[in-house]
Amino acid sequence: MSDVPFKNPGWAGNTGEFDLTEDQVRGDEFVGSRPGGGGHPSGSATYPYMLPDKDPTAPLFEGAFKERFEKILTRYPNKQAALLPTLGLAQEVRGHVSAQTMDRVAEVLGLSPAYVRGVTTFYTMYNKRPVGRFLVQVCTNVSCNLCGADDVMEAFLRYTDTEVGETSEDGYFTVIEAECLAACGFPTCVQINSRYYENVTPADVPKIIEHLKAETTGGE
Amino acid sequence: MAYPYVSDREVRVLSKYFGDPTHRRVGTYVERGGYQALKKAFEMGQDAVIDEVKTSGLRGRGGAGFPAGVKWSFMPKQPTKPHYLLCNADESEPGTFKDRELMRWDPHQLIEGVLIAAYAIRAKHAYIYCRGEFFETTQILAKALEDAYEKGYVGKDIMGSGNDIDITVHVGAGAYICGEETGLMNSLEGRRGQPRVKPPFPAAVGAFGMPSTVNNVETLSAVPHIVTHGGQWYRQWGTEKSPGTKLFCVSGHVNKPGNYELPLGFPLMELINDVCGGMKDGKALKAVIPGGSSVPILNAEECQNCDMDYEGVQAAGSMLGCASVIVMDEDTDIVKQVRRMVQFYAHESCGQCTPCREGTGWMTKVLRRIEEGRGTEEDLDTLLEMSRQMTGTTICVLSDSAAAPVVSSIQKFKDEYLALIRRGERVGVA
Amino acid sequence: MSDITLTIDGQEVSVPKGTTLLRAAEQIGKDVPHYCYHDGLSSPAMCRLCLVEVQGAPKPMPACVTQAMDGQVVETESPLALDMRRGVLEFYLVNHPLDCPICDMSGECNLQDYVHAEGRDHGRSREPKRVFGRDDFGADVLFYGDRCVMCTRCVRFMSEVERDQRLTVVERGNRSVIDTFFDRGLEGTHFSGNIVDLCPVGALVSKDFLYKARAWDLDHTHSICPSCSQGCNIDLHTRDNLVQRLKPRENLEVNAFWMCDYGRLNYEWINHGDRLEAPLVRHGDAVKAMGWKDALSSLVARLGGVEGGVRAVASPLACNEDLAALKALVENLGGGDIVYRMPRAEDEIVLKGFPTMARRRDLAPNGRGADLLGMKRVGGDDGSGGLEDVSDHRGVVVVLGDALADQDADFASGAAVRVYLGTHSGPAAAAADFVLPVTTFAEQEGTFTNHEGRVQRFWPALAAPGMARPAWLVLGALVAEGTGGETPRRADEAFERLVATNGAFAGLTYDDIGTRGALVNDTVPLSGD
Repeated sequence: MSDVPFKNPGWAGNTGEFDLTEDQVRGDEFVGSRPGGGGHPSGSATYPYMLPDKDPTAPLFEGAFKERFEKILTRYPNKQAALLPTLGLAQEVRGHVSAQTMDRVAEVLGLSPAYVRGVTTFYTMYNKRPVGRFLVQVCTNVSCNLCGADDVMEAFLRYTDTEVGETSEDGYFTVIEAECLAACGFPTCVQINSRYYENVTPADVPKIIEHLKAETTGGE
Repeated sequence: MAYPYVSDREVRVLSKYFGDPTHRRVGTYVERGGYQALKKAFEMGQDAVIDEVKTSGLRGRGGAGFPAGVKWSFMPKQPTKPHYLLCNADESEPGTFKDRELMRWDPHQLIEGVLIAAYAIRAKHAYIYCRGEFFETTQILAKALEDAYEKGYVGKDIMGSGNDIDITVHVGAGAYICGEETGLMNSLEGRRGQPRVKPPFPAAVGAFGMPSTVNNVETLSAVPHIVTHGGQWYRQWGTEKSPGTKLFCVSGHVNKPGNYELPLGFPLMELINDVCGGMKDGKALKAVIPGGSSVPILNAEECQNCDMDYEGVQAAGSMLGCASVIVMDEDTDIVKQVRRMVQFYAHESCGQCTPCREGTGWMTKVLRRIEEGRGTEEDLDTLLEMSRQMTGTTICVLSDSAAAPVVSSIQKFKDEYLALIRRGERVGVA
Repeated sequence: MSDITLTIDGQEVSVPKGTTLLRAAEQIGKDVPHYCYHDGLSSPAMCRLCLVEVQGAPKPMPACVTQAMDGQVVETESPLALDMRRGVLEFYLVNHPLDCPICDMSGECNLQDYVHAEGRDHGRSREPKRVFGRDDFGADVLFYGDRCVMCTRCVRFMSEVERDQRLTVVERGNRSVIDTFFDRGLEGTHFSGNIVDLCPVGALVSKDFLYKARAWDLDHTHSICPSCSQGCNIDLHTRDNLVQRLKPRENLEVNAFWMCDYGRLNYEWINHGDRLEAPLVRHGDAVKAMGWKDALSSLVARLGGVEGGVRAVASPLACNEDLAALKALVENLGGGDIVYRMPRAEDEIVLKGFPTMARRRDLAPNGRGADLLGMKRVGGDDGSGGLEDVSDHRGVVVVLGDALADQDADFASGAAVRVYLGTHSGPAAAAADFVLPVTTFAEQEGTFTNHEGRVQRFWPALAAPGMARPAWLVLGALVAEGTGGETPRRADEAFERLVATNGAFAGLTYDDIGTRGALVNDTVPLSGD
């Protein structure tokens, strides 16, 4: 887990009311990590965004992923409804949803590939192209915008040395603008892979980036 | 408990345990009285539960404000087909962040609310449609659900009552329009999340073609409390037409932004000056958006006597929506903020209906041009005309929502537009 | 279903319960503009163009899905309704390239028509338009993305009617565009040509028809598709006496609103030149062209006194009237067998969303007609062979339509008289003593009988070349010369004669058949089944 300080004053740990660190609050004890096989079927669709070691050619629906896929299928009355969770599962393994991935998903669910393409491209979170190891999504919508989101965005672009939507040379960072991430009380909110970073100011940006680069196998 | 800020004016019914991570444990939740409401609901019977919620006057907290009890009563009493309860946890309205907090601090409250609602509408399966970006939150919810299953609060023969109710956490993939109830149903079915034409209404033809009810997270989180204490109890707060408490999400230029649970009808200026510790850096108030970016903007004068309930805000010239208060100070660049909001709608439009698809894109381009100093006064008339043509002509109200800030800002902050148009000058800085 | 009454534009209309306002308005001749609605597809109500004002409703209602209610008062052309539609049309034009001068659809374009009728006279957008460019979807379809109005009729057709979802909407908002699954396109589909018909603007165009002719130059004539035994109702679109394209015509009992790609693109043969233009008579090695009167009297003279009866070869491309006249001639000459050959495809291609229609295995329009008239199918599935008996015949041999492409030069060389009624020279003409030029189906009036026994009329779209005449006229004249009776002068007379002498067609008249067709009474099984 990261030790980037959670800046929100009044954080339960900070007030001393609870003897907890942020790590504990966000760690296994109180959040839990999802097992590869999906845990209980009711929550089998919840998944980390992308595995740190994503491989665009990895086989889908094998091993633990197959188990999870089958659990997902049991929760819906037909196969078509499992499309979104299945695409998410495919993206988790491969990092983005390519034409081949769409084809394979269409195959296992009995849908037409063109239909799967239509659904995939409708949603923002399915990456159509490979992204860097860390997908940095900076909220620039109204509430965060009022509190300097544009400056945070600009700082990220500067410190990762990329353009908006492009991946940095070292392949680590892709920086994009995001719409409201529902953390408006803690501006500016930045989502990096699965994790929310709240109350980010331009001064925090270099620290966050250094911290991310230091991660080897990556924590989510 | 302090999360992140707490005010002594708050009435913490739903948000009592915000900031306490131990509350996520099912054991702790039960110790504190959890799942007793569910037991009571089973004993009361389905219609009695619906009546209780009707008595409480609980209105949909997702923005529409439609009475929840009445919505539940639309479902067939003798099911001939499977019923579904859908919990709308696709919180994407700019300025709103209450559902995320409710789910991550009190997941069992939501689960219990979902169970009671599902029981009342004779549904055997409930889906909690969570926004795709809520990774941590959905994991918390999934763990809580797993624990609840293990303890027998969800699934077959709940607490020995003979009732079977299953819950599934469904994860979305980044589309604001899936927060619209029919868009949600389409997305759940594995389609593009485009809204459907109503009629037929969800209570007749909903998810998978079956009768369904869609409720917001906050609405469902209030249900266990209403069942425990009774509908009349809920009415001790709020007003006659807008009873109960509401989580107000305050963001923008205030000292203490965050979620505050207050009775409906709370005066807006007290919310800003007292509860939220006043304007940041002591600046003057310029504008407030009282209900998330989809409602008209109020200028400082209109805020003075505005009471935060459905009728009060309407009287002031806007709508309560989901009570996401975005506060803007005197240095705000209104044109830039309106442009950003319209850009948001252009990005999120599903593209079915022409007025919305073309109109949001066109408005963004015009506003950008005005922002860059290349606008004309004719553009303002065109924007108003566009807004008129986008209101009431589409399947869902995203198009109306995009038009609302444009119309209200041109009416109330025309001088900012004109400064840019005539002199290329920006009035605000942020 | 009880009827309800409502008022539309001041007029009272009675419709069955469940009728939409759009259909109700159609009944009193009011066409409410619409894009996404189509009778053969689902109604998503997304184009928002058919907005009408309904008294008591808070906002304008889409007429294509709003159900008519008893006592409703609807205005389709009130100031509010017109204003709303004008607004929606303005939005359509914000990104539309307005390239009418180079767009195939010009002249038959719904956007042109609606904007001209109800739209603004100038656009107010000063912004750069979004560009999608041109995309080849495969098969016969080209897609101009800029012109697309996102009605999704094409997507819904492929999904609901052909049931092979090849098209989809990609992205969302004003970045949305129609596309296929990357390169896979429409290859392997059989009915994708229909999406060109469905497209209300020039976004989907036919590659075959690209830049060929302007819509307003074309004449439309009702006809029947000659490519298989389904008998889809079509229109021939012609200009300069050539068929430029085929379009389906609505008939809910045969083909609904559709036709298959195979039939749609199989029309070039109608335009094929090098036609037989004058009757030819062979004397030894010399071939002499003559006028009809001389040719027919010469033929009658030759036919008189020939022993051995007649063997005839007919064609399933010939209409009922032609075939009946051939049968009458054969009987008049002492009787004999009439056979025909017909190519048969390996499989039937059913339109899954409307299974009444299929590209049938019999690849000709009038095989059933020939069967009902007592003719026998011979030969293989490739349409060749089976003519040994005819070739060996010593008496009279009459060939109608069949070009005898597979036969060699000494076909029926031992016959006393060989007569060929056809459209082009070739082996059959070379093997005939009398070559009589006749018309194709596109140049005459007549009927075909489709696979289920439906008799359907078609009308002449082209002028026949030279002295070519309908076969029923020529054969009728021959019989009349021989018997001294009257020959039918018009197609309906020829049909009456057919009805009088062939029980299967009893009771039918051209009026009964109209433009929709009528079923025969007989249940003669299809030859070869």
